[in-house]
Amino acid sequence: MSDNDGRQDNVLLRLEHVCRTFQMGDVSVEVLKDVSIDIAKGEFLSMVGPSGSGKTTLLNLIGGLDRPTSGTISYKGRELSNASPAELTRYRRDEVGFVFQFYNLVPNLTARENVMVAAEISSKPLDVDRVLGMVGLADRVDHFPSQLSGGEQQRVAVARAIAKNPELLLCDELTGALDFETGKRVLRLLVDLQAELGTSVVIITHNHALAQVTRRVIHLRSGRISEESINDSPMAPEEIVW
Amino acid sequence: MLDRKLLRDLRRSAGLLAAIASIIAVGITCYVALTSSYRNLSEAKARYYRKCRMADFWIDVKKVPLAELSAVSSIPGVAEIQPRIQFSATVDLEENQEPITAMVISLPESRDTPLNDIVLRQGDYFTGRRAEEVIVSDSFARKHNLYPGQWVHVLLNNRRQRLFIVGTAISSEFVYMLGPGAILPDPEHFGVFYVRQRFAEEVFDFHGAANQIVGRLAPEVRDQPDPVLEQAEIVLEPYGVFHATPQRLQMSNQFLSSEIEGLGNIALIVPTVFLVVAALVLNVLMTRLARRQRTTIGTLKALGFTNWQVGSHFLKQGMSVGIIGGVAGCALGYLSSVGMTLVYQRFFEFPNLASGFYWQTHASGIAISILCSLAGSYLGARSVLRLGAAEAMRPEPPRRGGAIWLERFKRLWGMLSAPWRLALRTVIRHKLRSSAGMFAAAMGAGLLCTGFLMRQGQVFLIDFQFYKVARSDVDIVFHDELGRDALDEAARLPGVDWAEPQFGLACTFVNGPYRRKGGVTGLAPDARLTIPRDTKGRPIPMPASGLVLSRRLADILHAEPGDTITLEPIVGERRPAQATVAQVADSYLGVTAYADIHYLSRLMNEEFVTTGVQLALDGDPKHQAQLYRQLRDTPAVASVTARHDLIEQITDTLLKHQFIFIGLLITFSGVVFFGSIVNSSMVNLAERQREVATFLALGYDKWRIGNMFLRESLLINVTGALLGLPVGYGLMVVTAWSYRENDLIRFPVVPSAWIYLATLALALAFTFMAHAVVQWNIHRMNYLEALNVKE
Repeated sequence: MSDNDGRQDNVLLRLEHVCRTFQMGDVSVEVLKDVSIDIAKGEFLSMVGPSGSGKTTLLNLIGGLDRPTSGTISYKGRELSNASPAELTRYRRDEVGFVFQFYNLVPNLTARENVMVAAEISSKPLDVDRVLGMVGLADRVDHFPSQLSGGEQQRVAVARAIAKNPELLLCDELTGALDFETGKRVLRLLVDLQAELGTSVVIITHNHALAQVTRRVIHLRSGRISEESINDSPMAPEEIVW
Repeated sequence: MLDRKLLRDLRRSAGLLAAIASIIAVGITCYVALTSSYRNLSEAKARYYRKCRMADFWIDVKKVPLAELSAVSSIPGVAEIQPRIQFSATVDLEENQEPITAMVISLPESRDTPLNDIVLRQGDYFTGRRAEEVIVSDSFARKHNLYPGQWVHVLLNNRRQRLFIVGTAISSEFVYMLGPGAILPDPEHFGVFYVRQRFAEEVFDFHGAANQIVGRLAPEVRDQPDPVLEQAEIVLEPYGVFHATPQRLQMSNQFLSSEIEGLGNIALIVPTVFLVVAALVLNVLMTRLARRQRTTIGTLKALGFTNWQVGSHFLKQGMSVGIIGGVAGCALGYLSSVGMTLVYQRFFEFPNLASGFYWQTHASGIAISILCSLAGSYLGARSVLRLGAAEAMRPEPPRRGGAIWLERFKRLWGMLSAPWRLALRTVIRHKLRSSAGMFAAAMGAGLLCTGFLMRQGQVFLIDFQFYKVARSDVDIVFHDELGRDALDEAARLPGVDWAEPQFGLACTFVNGPYRRKGGVTGLAPDARLTIPRDTKGRPIPMPASGLVLSRRLADILHAEPGDTITLEPIVGERRPAQATVAQVADSYLGVTAYADIHYLSRLMNEEFVTTGVQLALDGDPKHQAQLYRQLRDTPAVASVTARHDLIEQITDTLLKHQFIFIGLLITFSGVVFFGSIVNSSMVNLAERQREVATFLALGYDKWRIGNMFLRESLLINVTGALLGLPVGYGLMVVTAWSYRENDLIRFPVVPSAWIYLATLALALAFTFMAHAVVQWNIHRMNYLEALNVKE
């Protein structure tokens, strides 16, 4: 069985001929044009493109934060493109975890409480303290975001995302607000978690260096997939340089 | 260019600014309405008194020859006097079964600028064509469809007289026209009849005499009339002085002046509450706006704009709220004053009580609202405005984190879910915003609570007085003191189940240097139709001898149980008598005294005296009609009062107007709650957009996110409302305390559970209503933009 055949049977999320157009006053801006992607269960891939390439819009569509103008998105065979807001909320709650560039932690909650807010609404959460231990913050659980470094905050964000035990983890510019060394440490964490939990992980980044840690890389340019490549030997996070 | 930015900023924050402007508008509405009404009434009073040449004093005597009045005129300080004859009478109208009381007052034959002049509404002054011409008080005439040219029958001096109506009129002496024993004007049962001087002399056997002297004082003694009146009493002593009443104690003037004074007081207090709340809320908003534009402020300063230019840009935002709120408040305030004036026209009879437009009031209203908004804006924005250009352009340093004091209670804290912890931390960390919200909620709840307590107090007083103390169906007052026969005769009247005598002794109480005019009510030992009660509602047992004084009277006289005081009767033989103070009782009725009727009669050297009878009826309407007919034709009867009519009148007028008052109070309170909550929540929402968007991304639905904000809102507003309950109670206690010098009543403070529950329920309702706006904004929020994940 080819990789493609294997991926077909194992498809978690499928995008077919997806377009997304935004109306800016009198002007229509077609941000995504005819994008088709499959994401398999347990897959670790990255989407790379320059600013304005449509990668963030694509992330929004995959994550159920937005709906396509045309085309279909299906998750485990269920169509998402015409889902109601309530259905999309359920999808985000039960199936998706987000990690944002600027962490997006709640300032008035401690690290443990930030993870708790995600765990509380999940139907199959992981243990909060275990997850915080997995990201190496067992001794910082009662600290507030303002008392944590950037790297620690991002690790809390990762913990919050995986505490819901999602099938799909979406990371938007994961290391964008971090320095080089911290960014690599967070990347290492993500790689280890993906291997341990078997979650499908998508990294969205403009940084081509980061894409080297994933096996599959989708290149975006001007709203289209310009190229799709496979890393036969993904690099370890410690080895990459940017 | 900055002004263009200003307009855009105003448009963007229009909703929030409108909420604050509405609070300011309510405050200014109250200020303008109350101040304008104050001026309407006080200027109408001044004009009316001037026009009618309102007297400065009234002296009631038994009978004084006109020839002896020069001694009064020559008292230093007396500018002019006018004698007149005044008696009460009974009006006989076919269509009325109940007896109607009238006060008959003589007027000069020709109208030559008399004192206490009348203002004709219909018809003419006396024409001289008939001796029995009468001018009837206008409200009475309208109530009974009486017009010039009609005849009316009146019992005068035990004789049924036919009087010819030549006109109807009003008088400054009766702006608030109260009949005997009444507390509200009742034109259906009481009117004033003005007759010619000579006719009065003839009918009442007062040839060349008078029983009332009205007069004016010289300007220099007008404010200190008492010494002059004391002199006049001494001069008139041989002719039996009953009362010497200065203008300030004249019944109509007392009610009118008290109402005007009350308006003046609350015109300051009520608007202040709203304006302080508005300033606080505006402070919160401007703090947020300034912080959000921190980088802009820094950039403007870097470009070369001065602190004043940048600062005035923010002050203009606040000022525009003040102007909008002030203008709206002035317009609504004027309309409200028109409405209030219409209400006052129902109670006070003026020739022309009109609602005026006072530009000074409106100008000061707008000035106050601008000042209030400038204060709020300046205090809100100053911390950012003080920053240097470089520091302002740097992003704001993150807030310090850390546990709040509540987290020390680990067990309790551990029981709370993350959303509740979030709500508590948000409330406690944002001290200014939370304090402003709690203050607004406390003021809103305090206003509600005070209003409800006021109504409760009035209902309580009515219940106390008319169901617990006074329990008769009909009260009869005689013209003169009568004996036991009068009681026996009253008991035999149709429909009477039970008759009780009363002896009302008008007198001056004297205890050493302390004196007070008043009266003692003598009650039968087994009285059940008047049961004096203390403030706890307990019946006050009537001692066989001695007086029971109300607390107020005892305080005035500095008297205690066991003391002997002197009673100087105003009528009859006028021989002073010594009486022992048997008991002092707390009472809601100001200056009262009771005694056993037999004891009181003996004090007056009589075996048994009655000045009136209280009746309990059998309830048969036919008997009641017969009773009234008979009383109407009884010359000895001065007045007849039906308790049921009095209760109905009070309930209809007083309590109905209370509902309007309560309705306004709830509306104003709602504006305070609504404006404060919406402003605070929207500022909160604006600051936490990314947090909201993150929760959405996590899978929280918008209602659940809304509930987080609702928790914070409830924490602030329920706490504030709970704090407002003692504020409301305290305000009511202060109001009741202000009545401590009032001789008529002591205002009760009657807290009850429903008041507090109703206040809290309304506070909750307003909170949920305001939250609906927040929820709507959460629903329409562009969370992609907030997440910073838009292309």
